[in-house]
Amino acid sequence: MSHSHEDHERTMSTDVRTTRRLSSVRSSLTTAGLAVTAMIGLSACASNAPQDTWQPAGENAQKIHDLQWPVFTVAGIVGVIVLVFIGVIVFRFRDKGQAIPEQTHGKAWLEYLFIAIPAVILAAIAIPTVGVVLALAETDDTECIINVTGQQWWWEYDYEVEPDGSICGFAPSAGEASPIITSGQVVIPAGTNVLLRGTSRDVIHSYWIPRLNGKRDMVPGRVHYLRLQSDTPGIYAGQCTEFCGLSHANMRMETVVLAPADFQRWLDNELEPYKSPAEGTLAKEGEATYITQCARCHQVNGLVDDKGTDDTSDDTVVVSYPDQFVFSGAAPNLTNLMGRNTFAGASWDLLTPECREDVWEASPEEFGEKYLAGVTEDCLNDIDLREWLRNAPAKKPMYADAELLEPTDGKTRGMPYLALSEDQIDQLIAYLLERK
Amino acid sequence: MFTTGSKLLLGSTVAALIGTLLYGILVGGIMGTVGLVSATAALGTFAAINIFTRDANVSVDDIDAFAGAAAGAERPGSSMWPLAIGLATATITLGLVTYTAIFMLGVILLIAGTAEWMLQAWAERASSDANHNREVRGRLAYTAEMPAAAAIGLGIVIYAFSRVMLGVPSKASTIVAFSVVAAVVLAVGAFVGSNRRISAPKLTGLFAVAGVVLVSGGAVAGLNGEREIEEHHTTAYYAQEGKCGTGEISADEHASQTVAGKASQAATVVLSDSGLTYTFPGLDQVRSGSIQLPRSSAVNILFRNETNEHRRLVADMAPEVEGSPAKICSQLVEEGGVQLLTLNYPVPSFDPSVEANGGYALSVPGVDGARLEVVVP
Amino acid sequence: MAIIERPSDTVALAPSGAPAVATPDTSYGVFRRPVHTTGWKSWLFTIDHKKLGIMYGVTAMVFFIIGGVEALLIRLQLAGPNGTVLNADQYNQMFTMHATTMVFLFVMPMAAAFANYMVPLQIGARDVAFPRINAFGYWAYLFGGLLLNSSWFLGGAADGGWFMYAPNSSVVFSPTNGVDFWGLGLQITGIASLTGAINLIVTVINMRAPGMSLMKMPIFTWMVMVVQFLLLFAMPVITVALFMLMFQRSFDATFFSVEAGADPLLWQHLFWIFGHPEVYIIVLPSFGIVSEILPVFSKKPLFGYPLVVFSGAAIGLVGWGVWAHHMFASGLGPISVAVFSVATMAIAIPTGVKIVNWTLTMWGGKIAFTVPMLYAVGVIVQFTIGGLSGVTHSVAPSDTQQTDTYYIVAHFHYVIFGGAVLGLFAGLYYWWPKMFGKMLNERLGKWNFWLTIVGMNLTFGPMHVIGLQGQPRRMYVWTENRAGEGFFNIGFWNLMATIGSFVLTLGVLVFLINIYVSHRKGTEKAPLDPWDARSLEWITANPPKEHNFDRLPTVGHLDEFFHRKYEDRGEGERHDYHQVATAEEILAAEEASADKHIHLPSPSYWPILLAFSLPIMGYGVIYNLYLLAGGALLALVSMYGWGMEPHTAPSDDYDPPKGTELEVAAHG
Repeated sequence: MSHSHEDHERTMSTDVRTTRRLSSVRSSLTTAGLAVTAMIGLSACASNAPQDTWQPAGENAQKIHDLQWPVFTVAGIVGVIVLVFIGVIVFRFRDKGQAIPEQTHGKAWLEYLFIAIPAVILAAIAIPTVGVVLALAETDDTECIINVTGQQWWWEYDYEVEPDGSICGFAPSAGEASPIITSGQVVIPAGTNVLLRGTSRDVIHSYWIPRLNGKRDMVPGRVHYLRLQSDTPGIYAGQCTEFCGLSHANMRMETVVLAPADFQRWLDNELEPYKSPAEGTLAKEGEATYITQCARCHQVNGLVDDKGTDDTSDDTVVVSYPDQFVFSGAAPNLTNLMGRNTFAGASWDLLTPECREDVWEASPEEFGEKYLAGVTEDCLNDIDLREWLRNAPAKKPMYADAELLEPTDGKTRGMPYLALSEDQIDQLIAYLLERK
Repeated sequence: MFTTGSKLLLGSTVAALIGTLLYGILVGGIMGTVGLVSATAALGTFAAINIFTRDANVSVDDIDAFAGAAAGAERPGSSMWPLAIGLATATITLGLVTYTAIFMLGVILLIAGTAEWMLQAWAERASSDANHNREVRGRLAYTAEMPAAAAIGLGIVIYAFSRVMLGVPSKASTIVAFSVVAAVVLAVGAFVGSNRRISAPKLTGLFAVAGVVLVSGGAVAGLNGEREIEEHHTTAYYAQEGKCGTGEISADEHASQTVAGKASQAATVVLSDSGLTYTFPGLDQVRSGSIQLPRSSAVNILFRNETNEHRRLVADMAPEVEGSPAKICSQLVEEGGVQLLTLNYPVPSFDPSVEANGGYALSVPGVDGARLEVVVP
Repeated sequence: MAIIERPSDTVALAPSGAPAVATPDTSYGVFRRPVHTTGWKSWLFTIDHKKLGIMYGVTAMVFFIIGGVEALLIRLQLAGPNGTVLNADQYNQMFTMHATTMVFLFVMPMAAAFANYMVPLQIGARDVAFPRINAFGYWAYLFGGLLLNSSWFLGGAADGGWFMYAPNSSVVFSPTNGVDFWGLGLQITGIASLTGAINLIVTVINMRAPGMSLMKMPIFTWMVMVVQFLLLFAMPVITVALFMLMFQRSFDATFFSVEAGADPLLWQHLFWIFGHPEVYIIVLPSFGIVSEILPVFSKKPLFGYPLVVFSGAAIGLVGWGVWAHHMFASGLGPISVAVFSVATMAIAIPTGVKIVNWTLTMWGGKIAFTVPMLYAVGVIVQFTIGGLSGVTHSVAPSDTQQTDTYYIVAHFHYVIFGGAVLGLFAGLYYWWPKMFGKMLNERLGKWNFWLTIVGMNLTFGPMHVIGLQGQPRRMYVWTENRAGEGFFNIGFWNLMATIGSFVLTLGVLVFLINIYVSHRKGTEKAPLDPWDARSLEWITANPPKEHNFDRLPTVGHLDEFFHRKYEDRGEGERHDYHQVATAEEILAAEEASADKHIHLPSPSYWPILLAFSLPIMGYGVIYNLYLLAGGALLALVSMYGWGMEPHTAPSDDYDPPKGTELEVAAHG
């Protein structure tokens, strides 16, 4: 218990609003003081599990939280009363040789009373519940629309270009806006009401960033909405919560909240034209390898195949056709891979543990700078990325067995084993490191 | 009296006799007539012998046994199976010279009749207790007879009724006529239901009449042939043929009755006098010009027509792309109506082959400028 | 069968007076009827509800152990981060089969075991209304369960979760035959449930002892009847859904194909319209058992008996209107969510009534804490916790944070393990002497109880924490990255839960040991009325004779047995109960005036044969359509045989046991 008390203190320093409510939970719990309620209540003053459902960091999650803590409290109190009552009965009416009691079926008024009490309590819960349900379904105040599409086992985001040519209310500093496609991490501006329009390409997935909002299933053929909003820059973790097949556990997502100025920088960077690596570098070799090995599924916007010659007449724009190789018909867009710091459905980090901690633990003020630095060569998590390129299905289960791909006509579900040589992997990593 | 076995032979004799006469009168020809006469005579002889030997159960000399044989101990009950088999034989013969279907019917009747006959012959002699024999027969036979009879009966009713329905013209008068029939059936049913004392024969008669009416109606309608039934193509067919225009195509019939109001669609595209606009469900903002849809994902688009004309929405899918249809179109939508289109774009709109074809678009034939560019990132 | 109705002795003669040529042979079937009273054949062809009840129980127990092993493997895998006990595929199969086994092959059949055994005894009947269908139901359940589990050896079990959401269940996403086995196995066990439901409804409505009006019926029988009505209406829904699934997978139908314009949410609605009543199907029999046990050991009638009956019925009814609360995150739209949210809160009221009535039954009582009573109190406590966490789920916005996390796993294990399974254990301890004539050891029973309680709270309690810390369910691994630190560290509580699951296992082992210990040679026979019970099933021998009651009892009271034993000699408001008869005396009186003519149905070969045709057809659908035809043929033949078989065999038409008088009579 003393440990959790410390946690209290820490939470209070970061988020006063939350803690004020938490302490009221605590005070009611101290009076009640029974194991189960305590366990539920205590998780309110949790330390830093990134998916803690009792640490709202945005307006929507806060609405849910304001509703759930009184309900948990009432449920806890009722539970304690019932359990204490049973305890009293157990001790008071043990067989101590007393006479056989009256054979009565009870008293009507008592029964009505015990129907009325829960009815009143539940009615009291029902009214605000309906209110919050309706409030969370509001879409009028939307300032930014991002489309999110789930597939086995990663999330793709594309940013809607608004009719006025802006994205999320931010106009590009130079040039025209075009749809931005990312995956794994979605970047949103702080203080903006974001509306995710979600669907799926194969099975049902569920989008859930606990600290920003409850979950919402993303169903193929349907478009579902989810509100996201946060005033505090930082990374918020989430996890697909609708069972979606083999690698369900490896389908994660992260929402990155950037201060408006940082978001503008991020946006401009995303819209920058493609820069081919300098001639003669390892990365340039990597570009060629990328075109032969990766580009049939993974799009890099603006990538041009110069056929290894200086003659520009036979240059072709490289367009990938994942629909011919992957069952879901999509593969992550790698244009700015190193601008985000996770890969493979946000299951592994592109940053080394130290660098990752540096970004994740950064204060809201410093966060934007650190995040926008992207993945540098020093910070690159070489181990996981290499393992992935060597044999992806071995790292993340993806129905690699050819026999099981019969129903999909050999189309893979996830990244297949590519039999890349170590040299090719070196080249590719050099090339990918420049994608930011 | 006639034993069971002799009934078959006698029946066959009669059938052969009739066949001989018919052949002689209608077809003629000396060889056939002689053959049939011989057959008749042979069958008659066998019948006589069979009657005399009590189905060959006993020796004629053994008077006691003759009297005590199970076949003789109790007179066998009446049986319709010899007649049925006789009929079957005739049907088979008829079928051989006319239609295969009639031949098959005869064979089925023959098999069923023979089986039933054998069952009856066995059951009547299972013991000397007639009640027991009845029960034993019921247990053995009903489990097969009842479902088979029900299936055949139902089959006949359904087939006859379907012939009637396919035969009559699809006009209002037919609907009225059927309503009257339905009302009569209902009224009779109600009468029978409320009148508990109605006798079984009356009820049976009623059903028999109804059955005869239905079957004869079916036969007449069946011989008359089906009415002319229009062939309906789907919108996909017309889209492929490039016929998704302003005019009405047969796929547009009953468009207003199609279930289209699907929830959670990707966008609602609205045609009004100011052109083609769209909204995202739940969002008030009206947009126009271009619409962004996800790649390789089945998306549902709801099309609403708010003009006075009947209009359809056509999705241009860029024909050069392998495996995807060139166009998809909705049915013609009346004022205020909605239709659903399910689209799937496997290739992004920035692909050169798509751009070469003018890109993806949603448009309304006959309305200039009603066009939404589709952006597939 | 030992006691059968004898046909008249005179053989009918031909009316003419001629000597009978053939003797009536009433054996219409292919086989002579079986009549084994001992040995394995007596179990294989029995239609005795008591034997079938025991068979249901034993089979369910075996599946409980299988499901338990699956659970242990899951917990081992999750004990630490990035577990390697199972791979992703095996893990997915494991949690799918754990849930399926526990729900369909353990809890439901265990409840069916008690219903089969106890309902006829509690209402004073000699058997159920359709004994052969009863036998068929058991065999269908067994064969369905075996078909389902045979998938382990035939390319892998189902891997889509017990809820089997479309389109993840289609061939593309689940290419092995596992889902086919799952669907067909459940279809077959569903047939068992459906026939059982009709059978028990007819039994309860038609075969109650004279004087037993519905409101004098024991509460367990009441709850069983509510459950059977739920089954009657719920099973057809899942049957339709499973057929759609079968056609989708085996015959290329497009019920759930989005490209063809289908909506995958259809499956969810169908599944949960079945699935929510299923929750009450699972838990209500246990409520009935608890409601039987509490009065016995409190020496008081059930508090508010009519209200408990009506709240049970109300739960059954309202249970149909809350299915979408399993779908709060599915994107139904705010209005549906709000409505189902409020409806879900409403169902908490009748559930609360039960808890209140149970506690008030104990209030003022004279409570003896035997093992069954401990379990019953355990149910109240554990179910209260599960119920309250359920109330937190009814708040839809809050549910969107908790659904599909371990919090909900904690919730429904408190409800299903704490509510249903503990109740079933209570029933086992309570009725064991009735069913087997031996008492289960009380000392071992208490070990069993406390290990189970500690184990379950240690297993499922931490899941509340893990869930609120954001760990989703159905993940084959969890990582340190998302575990957090300090008191709420997910790793620590996962480890606790795994340790708890082993404590729980120990508890179940003690139960098995207890069975062995209690049935060793030389253990005493159980007394006739060990608990001073209150209902009709105790007015019989231990275990009951084949025909249950020598004389069908006449009922004057709810708690008839109690009122036969005790008399109130108090005046006015004062009560003074005195024992006026012992159980032995009451039984002796009943035996003294035994019915002379007892009609019992005869055993049959056909139910097991017909049931056996079902898995053959199942394999046929998966592997070979000719096999399907073969199975259908066997089904047809079996039905034919069944149809021809008289309800009761005459005395000379069965294979009598060797060396008995009957055999001599039959062949001599």
